[in-house]
Amino acid sequence: MVGFSNSVIKEVDELFSRYPVKVHALLPLLHLAQRVNDGWLPSGWDAYVADLCDTTVNHVRGVITFYNMFHTKPVGRHHIMVCTCLPCGLCDGDKLLTHLEERLGLHPGQTSADGLFSLEEAQCLAACDKAPLMMVNDKLHENLTLEQVDNWIEQARKKK
Amino acid sequence: MVEEKQILTKNMRDSKYSGDLKAYKNAGGFNALDTVIRKMKPEQVLELVKASDLRGRGGAGFPTGVKWSFMPKDTGKPSYLICNADESEPGTFKDHLIMMRDPHLFLEGMIIGCYTIDCNTGYIYIRGESQTAIAIMEKAIGELYKDKLLGQNVMGSKYSLDLYVHPGAGAYICGEETALLDSLEGKRGQPRIKPPFPAVSGYNSCPTSVNNVETLACLPYIINEGPEAWKAMGTPNNSGTHMVCISGHVEKPGVYEVEMGVSLLEMINDLAGGVRNGKKLKAVIPGGASANILKADEADVPYEFDALMKAGTMMGSAAVIVFDEDTDMVEVASRTIRFFNHESCGQCTPCREGTFWLKNMIRDFLDNAGDEAKMQRVERVSANLIGTTICPFGDATGGPMGTFIGKFPEDFRKHFA
Repeated sequence: MVGFSNSVIKEVDELFSRYPVKVHALLPLLHLAQRVNDGWLPSGWDAYVADLCDTTVNHVRGVITFYNMFHTKPVGRHHIMVCTCLPCGLCDGDKLLTHLEERLGLHPGQTSADGLFSLEEAQCLAACDKAPLMMVNDKLHENLTLEQVDNWIEQARKKK
Repeated sequence: MVEEKQILTKNMRDSKYSGDLKAYKNAGGFNALDTVIRKMKPEQVLELVKASDLRGRGGAGFPTGVKWSFMPKDTGKPSYLICNADESEPGTFKDHLIMMRDPHLFLEGMIIGCYTIDCNTGYIYIRGESQTAIAIMEKAIGELYKDKLLGQNVMGSKYSLDLYVHPGAGAYICGEETALLDSLEGKRGQPRIKPPFPAVSGYNSCPTSVNNVETLACLPYIINEGPEAWKAMGTPNNSGTHMVCISGHVEKPGVYEVEMGVSLLEMINDLAGGVRNGKKLKAVIPGGASANILKADEADVPYEFDALMKAGTMMGSAAVIVFDEDTDMVEVASRTIRFFNHESCGQCTPCREGTFWLKNMIRDFLDNAGDEAKMQRVERVSANLIGTTICPFGDATGGPMGTFIGKFPEDFRKHFA
């Protein structure tokens, strides 16, 4: 079903009240749309959101494709972002990414067949003093050892 | 010996400090706003900020008071203060620390700033990945509404102010102020052609000031202690303290608050514990990935806007990235150009194409297929990026890429075919 439920529509109205023009709420609206759709934007939501904020579907598609955080394909229940940017790269960010690729059998941009994990190579996550690090959904995991990563994967698989 | 100061970091260095409104007030918080609201007119606050010589901490180092004085009055349009809390420059993590540990220090500063430019609605643009910071700021703003420090009649005065958090969605370029404004208007974040400057036509075509988190967090101290006390720290034209982010090959990476103008080299050694594992220093980037690299023998430079500019680089957002003697500068150049290529907004040809081809050329060196002609080509393409784009992204790519080769040609020659 494309469209926000009545309980979420209240949040939409609150968002609109923050801006002088409806379309200014587009980014928070798309975040909200992803939240109610397991982290991605299924087909039809671009047109629905465009309609909500009085803009064109092409405008919304332009915005969705510009920003990294908007996904038009399903992401895993655990969406893992690993920073390999300059400061993290100096502190084993690559090793962490390679390790995750091996353990999960995934390359950046892919989602596991069971829908549990997806992997992304991230640009700076503003926590350079705590490298190597990964962000899983909203949560940062800092100063990671490879053992900690293995434990985390094991826990995530158990909770499935 | 460089020592840490505790002006901005006074509360957050106390591990028991919770950061909620009660704790902030117990630590003397909101006295400055009280003074401003009850005893000062906006013009008086503006004069005081001008007198402090406070310069923006987001990267450009533009004097805050002067920026605010560009805001036209009586245009019949609302004025906006937008806080740039996007903090995406590789190596920068100080604004996050402020928001996570002492959100009310920053909010008090932001309310003072809004009052000064007669703004009744302000937005805090936080990068979308930082859900934790967004949640903390939303909660802190809620506390302020409850306590009548925001909303109608702030502290019982005639002044009213609403503040909102706006989440970004993962785009480095939205740290550039006009791209940020487009992003805030629900568009792709692509920098605007200036003029008009935001002060004249910014958010929703209204007079707008975009200020960094740390810049605003400096205001309570300047109001409480006066501009002279602020200027007593730092060096002339580079007043006060600031928060420096040190990362890379050091023993103790982290955020350190120091006076402007201390030695960059001493700061790395005295505060961050020096290069890790007893290695020697090879180079240091003093102001994030956009700043030109300094060789070890150039690193004993005063850490302030003017001296770093003179040294051919910049302080940027105070992101110090340290490289040990084993670092391969081809590897560093590769990571840097991958970042800039990924984050180019695609608007200007030199940047969109230049970052792409530079990435491919550097990959040749990584594959040990470099040669002298390719080195010259990288330098030429880098130079072509400087000054040829709408926003400073071109300079931020071309400068560092040219300097990696210019200062460390031997590293590139090791990757010849």
